[in-house]
Amino acid sequence: MIAAVQKHFRREVDLWSASTFVLALLILTPLIVVVVGLSDAGPKWDHIASTVLWKYVWNTVLVVPLVGVLAILMAVPPAWLVSAFEFPGRRIFEWALVLPLAIPTYVAAFVYYPGLEAAIPFIVSVRQNFGFDASQVAEKIVRYGLLSILLASVLYPYLFISARSSFSQQRRGVIEAAQTLGRGPISVFFSVALPLARPALVAGLSLIVMEVVNDYGAVHFFGVPTLTEGIFRTWFGLGDRSSALRIAGLVMLAVLCLLWAEQRQRGRARFSEHSVNSTPLARRKLGTSKAVLAIVVCVVPLGIGFLYPVFRLLGWASQTFGKVLQADFWQQLGNSLLLSLGTAAGLTAIAVIFAFATRLHHAGWLRVTSRMATLGYAAPGAVVAVGVMVALGGVDRSLGQQVLSGTYFAIIFAYTVRFLAVPFHPVRAGMNRVCGSLDEASRVLGQSPLLTLWKINLPLMWTTLLAATMLVFVDILKELPLTMILRPANFETLATTAFGLASEGRFRECSVPSLIIILAGALGLMVLNRLTKRKTG
Amino acid sequence: MNRNFLYLLTTALFAGSLQAEEITLFSHRHYEADDALYEKFTKETGIKVNVVKASADELIERLKAEGETTKGDVFMTADAGRLVRAKAQGVLQPVESAVLSERIPANLRDPENMWFGLTQRARIVMYAKDRVKPEELSTYEDLADKKWRGRILVRSSSNIYNQSLLASIIAEHGAEKAAEWAKGVRGNMARPPQGSDRDQMRAVHAGLGDLAIVNTYYVGLLVNSTEKKDQEVGKSLGFFFPNQDGRGAHVNVSGAGIIKHSKNKDAAIKFLEFLASDEAQATFPKETYEYPVVPSVEWSPLQKSWGEFKADSLNLAKLGELNEKAVEVFNEVGWE
Repeated sequence: MIAAVQKHFRREVDLWSASTFVLALLILTPLIVVVVGLSDAGPKWDHIASTVLWKYVWNTVLVVPLVGVLAILMAVPPAWLVSAFEFPGRRIFEWALVLPLAIPTYVAAFVYYPGLEAAIPFIVSVRQNFGFDASQVAEKIVRYGLLSILLASVLYPYLFISARSSFSQQRRGVIEAAQTLGRGPISVFFSVALPLARPALVAGLSLIVMEVVNDYGAVHFFGVPTLTEGIFRTWFGLGDRSSALRIAGLVMLAVLCLLWAEQRQRGRARFSEHSVNSTPLARRKLGTSKAVLAIVVCVVPLGIGFLYPVFRLLGWASQTFGKVLQADFWQQLGNSLLLSLGTAAGLTAIAVIFAFATRLHHAGWLRVTSRMATLGYAAPGAVVAVGVMVALGGVDRSLGQQVLSGTYFAIIFAYTVRFLAVPFHPVRAGMNRVCGSLDEASRVLGQSPLLTLWKINLPLMWTTLLAATMLVFVDILKELPLTMILRPANFETLATTAFGLASEGRFRECSVPSLIIILAGALGLMVLNRLTKRKTG
Repeated sequence: MNRNFLYLLTTALFAGSLQAEEITLFSHRHYEADDALYEKFTKETGIKVNVVKASADELIERLKAEGETTKGDVFMTADAGRLVRAKAQGVLQPVESAVLSERIPANLRDPENMWFGLTQRARIVMYAKDRVKPEELSTYEDLADKKWRGRILVRSSSNIYNQSLLASIIAEHGAEKAAEWAKGVRGNMARPPQGSDRDQMRAVHAGLGDLAIVNTYYVGLLVNSTEKKDQEVGKSLGFFFPNQDGRGAHVNVSGAGIIKHSKNKDAAIKFLEFLASDEAQATFPKETYEYPVVPSVEWSPLQKSWGEFKADSLNLAKLGELNEKAVEVFNEVGWE
């Protein structure tokens, strides 16, 4: 019995599973630190629970669905149009509609904030005609509405990407069957295409939900305290870190439930996508009036999420770029690019190790630990930062001197904790889809795992790897709270510079670093787009 | 041998350069003019100033996590409340400096010399000149009066300057009266609290309300803005120091203390003394529109145009102690 267990154990433990386990544990440490902190109730918990907690919850459950619905409206119709129809500009919209993802929410927030000021005359007139209380309602609708629109307009691409790839993979047979049965194009969309794409849509939507829940900059700007702002108010305003972490724990729990639900429904719906094997959907050419309508449907989200903000920023930048483009600036640009590209590549490498190890061993414990290590994506940046600070500070203190805290290592480690999920999911899915049983054949023929990975898996999936790297590159480039809290002395990235200028109200100067972030992110997204198109098309 | 090599390698990788004369500043302040001031200090003393900028509370957490291994020497905030919290969390140490004790008035520094105010800002009322007569204005307490219903603009309660204003009212009248006051002001607001101090003044200009509760240095930034529109906003508003017949206008400080585990205490003290020097103090009124803490230092022309005023002489340590109570009161009365 014991011998059998030992033999089983020996088979499952090798370089791959061991390194996955150790890496996953290291990455989990800061999250464990936070979770351990949850157990002691903070001194102000009762006060929060009886006064403001429900308001944070209410704002969150109000804004999240609002943004979700708006994002669906902005993402799904264009995704269907560019997949199923031919119209002028389709090829441009196909990739351009992804671009708003390059715009950080805090930049979108300060670009759109003057909209609230522009609405003041309207609110004043409501007050004169319908009284004070009506004006308060009008003000709220304008503010929550504008906030939701701007968040949806820069986050909808998560949904657009998954919807587009799902629609373009749908097979002609199903659609034609529906048409033969007398369904019109709109009915086909709602009764066939949309239900088939549901798992992909839910996956995209859950990313948007996580981004909204964890957003701090935009909601603060617009005076809509959500749970994430509640974390900061409790921590900073009341000086109660324990209660703040408890709210963070609640947020993480809610997000986890969501991910779990998504996983379940995706699992059930999986086989339907691949069961039909016929020619891909042929694009139908649209007549003039319908083509115009299609163009409008595509231009609106692109305009709100990308064209207007960039236009506005360019206007500001033209007045200030001489002042901003100095020696410091190139240094910041170098810091940002080096840090984001380097970390992104490293994270993709870790994702490959994790995915390959779980493929080699099919062991439950390995799957669970590697999945756990990606949970940092569900935590707000500042909460991850606290975990990292406490964990690294502990190591330093036991060494008696500062080796890890306040170094580049601290930032890179924190990015790993927070963003590993971003490359992990595509890499794992890509490895399972692309490699089939080829690598198993190689293993059966007696090749070592390392050689198999090098000769079979990696060459087959390099586009997936590059795409995963680009996706996480854009995320790290935009990242703010982790970098702010953990950085070494005198260290600025484009994001921290942009934030510093914006918090002084110097939006004109802030526009230059913001534009560079957007430009670099947009380039990354275009590469990503090329790659995914080649893969699916 | 092997261990030495490893040690060298890790220090080279992680520690960065090691110079004798440098200090590391953990600062909440993010003003461009400060950098020029630090350069001046380096020129005069040869001591290099490294800066880590983040919010004060994040920096306190970092200092706690780093403990005795920290590289930080000076901790700087934009309000007294965070200095008091840093002291309470045990990340500061007392400083004996005749220069600092002599130059900085007693109510603007910690009674145990753990921190020192370096610049002052007053929280005042800006009013629409065409709709409000200055005679109608008197005290902070009066802002809770029903006559201002739907007319007041002020930012959210997460803002530290609102917290310290309420703390000063708690210090004067007790928590119960202060809660009534906060409730009254919340009821008089023209819209739910949002935006920055400058946004409140812009909203008054746009006609949404008649009064904005703001900090003096934001008025300076607005009036001296390169934006035409903001200059117009500045021109349309009048400036009022409340409570001049009583305890005086509410003031807060931006200040600094020396980090408990600082390894460069002497250089750090030199740095604080430099910031309290006439030379450094004179730059604040001009560059950031903050008032100097040293009484003999001249104000900027703009500050002179606002006139002399009586400032609340409450010890700022008291504000810090009452800060959490203030936040609780805000939460209870629903000032978002």
